[in-house]
Amino acid sequence: MDIKAEWIKNFYSGLPRDRIKLETFGHGFDFLEKMSADGMALDYGELVLCKDLHKYKFSNVPEHGFDDMLLSHVHKQSNVCLYFHENANSLFAFNLDKDHKFDDAPDIPELTVAVNLLRGILSSLGCEPMVIASGKGYHIWCRLGSPERNDHLYDFMVRTMAKALHQLHIRGLDHARIFTRFYPDPRTVNKISLRIFGSCHMSSGLFSGILAENGLLGEETSWRAFEEHLKRKTIDEPVFQAAYKSITASS
Amino acid sequence: MNTIAIDIDDTLNNYSEILHTTNFAFDENYNISRDTFDRYLEMIKNEKADRGDLLSAGFSFLRQKINGECYQSAVARPDAVEFMQWLRRKGWRIVICTHRDLRRTEEITRKWMRDNRIPFDYLFIAVDKLKFCKKWGIDYLVDDHLFSVRFADQYGVEVFFPTMAKHEGEGVRHSSLARGFTSFNEVRLWI
Repeated sequence: MDIKAEWIKNFYSGLPRDRIKLETFGHGFDFLEKMSADGMALDYGELVLCKDLHKYKFSNVPEHGFDDMLLSHVHKQSNVCLYFHENANSLFAFNLDKDHKFDDAPDIPELTVAVNLLRGILSSLGCEPMVIASGKGYHIWCRLGSPERNDHLYDFMVRTMAKALHQLHIRGLDHARIFTRFYPDPRTVNKISLRIFGSCHMSSGLFSGILAENGLLGEETSWRAFEEHLKRKTIDEPVFQAAYKSITASS
Repeated sequence: MNTIAIDIDDTLNNYSEILHTTNFAFDENYNISRDTFDRYLEMIKNEKADRGDLLSAGFSFLRQKINGECYQSAVARPDAVEFMQWLRRKGWRIVICTHRDLRRTEEITRKWMRDNRIPFDYLFIAVDKLKFCKKWGIDYLVDDHLFSVRFADQYGVEVFFPTMAKHEGEGVRHSSLARGFTSFNEVRLWI
């Protein structure tokens, strides 16, 4: 298997592999029949307005089907988005965007400041995150050594985010301009998926790189940082428990 | 294989009637005031969009809730159910093509179709249903939406629409490829 696909498979090993959201230009009934040849089922599809991009939610995805889609993701022929487990997960992610309906709205300085504040809070708790630039915002992933209950993860994320936004407010910046979401969200756990690392903007082809402390990394540097994160920055259970205890005690 | 795309709301069911006649209860969990609730509800009933620029608006949350209630309460047209079952018997490929946010409503949509014995092969979200039909090589679309009625010829798709008041106003242009019907039996004859 391609080494990058292998890294992705390992990094996201805590998420379900039997369901997937695929973003691709592939379409047509022959395409669907080919995709579902091994029992994979299309839950629903979507034609988005922009550039004829299609999105498909598949379930009953066999292992080799999952691997094939990861390969196409790595080769930039599609984007793979993954769902979360119903009750407990070993990955969680913050999604920070500017609170604006339109992608072409002007950038706001609050966003990267908030991301860096959140990164600092998480790191100080021993939960170093991986920050991915995604569209007009950022996905901030943390990877745990073992699954944790979704309600705990959600509670942890809300509290750390509140702390970051409080610090933003103290700096005189407007926390209300930032739109936040948390995954897994117990209300939408089987409904909303997240793009995984290695995604490209399907229209522009722009790679969604990693935002390091010293700036946005290029494509190959991002892959090296991703590998490094996978190898060395998984959060052990006692560390997360201590972080959770600390954040609930202080907020 | 013959393929047809079919919309759900106000095509297979009476969505608008339910929206306008249901007495939706205010819920404090919506986190908006009673006045705001009333104002938003009026906007939803009149298909008006939220004018604000923000994503984090209570409006879209309320719209999801109201739509969810309507999707479940909507009544299937008996002639539509018969038509869909006829399509299945005749071996048509049936594509449900809707504006619904299926990320959040796939389950209730499938349940509603199952409960009403409406067969289909695929579920699709498409904001522009004509474009979807053109891309997927689908010649027929059954849809009440004015855009589909107006622009069918530009996409080369034959559109059949259940005649409603909105299709009859002055200045409403109908494409030469769009035909209104009062019963699905007419569509059965046309295809």
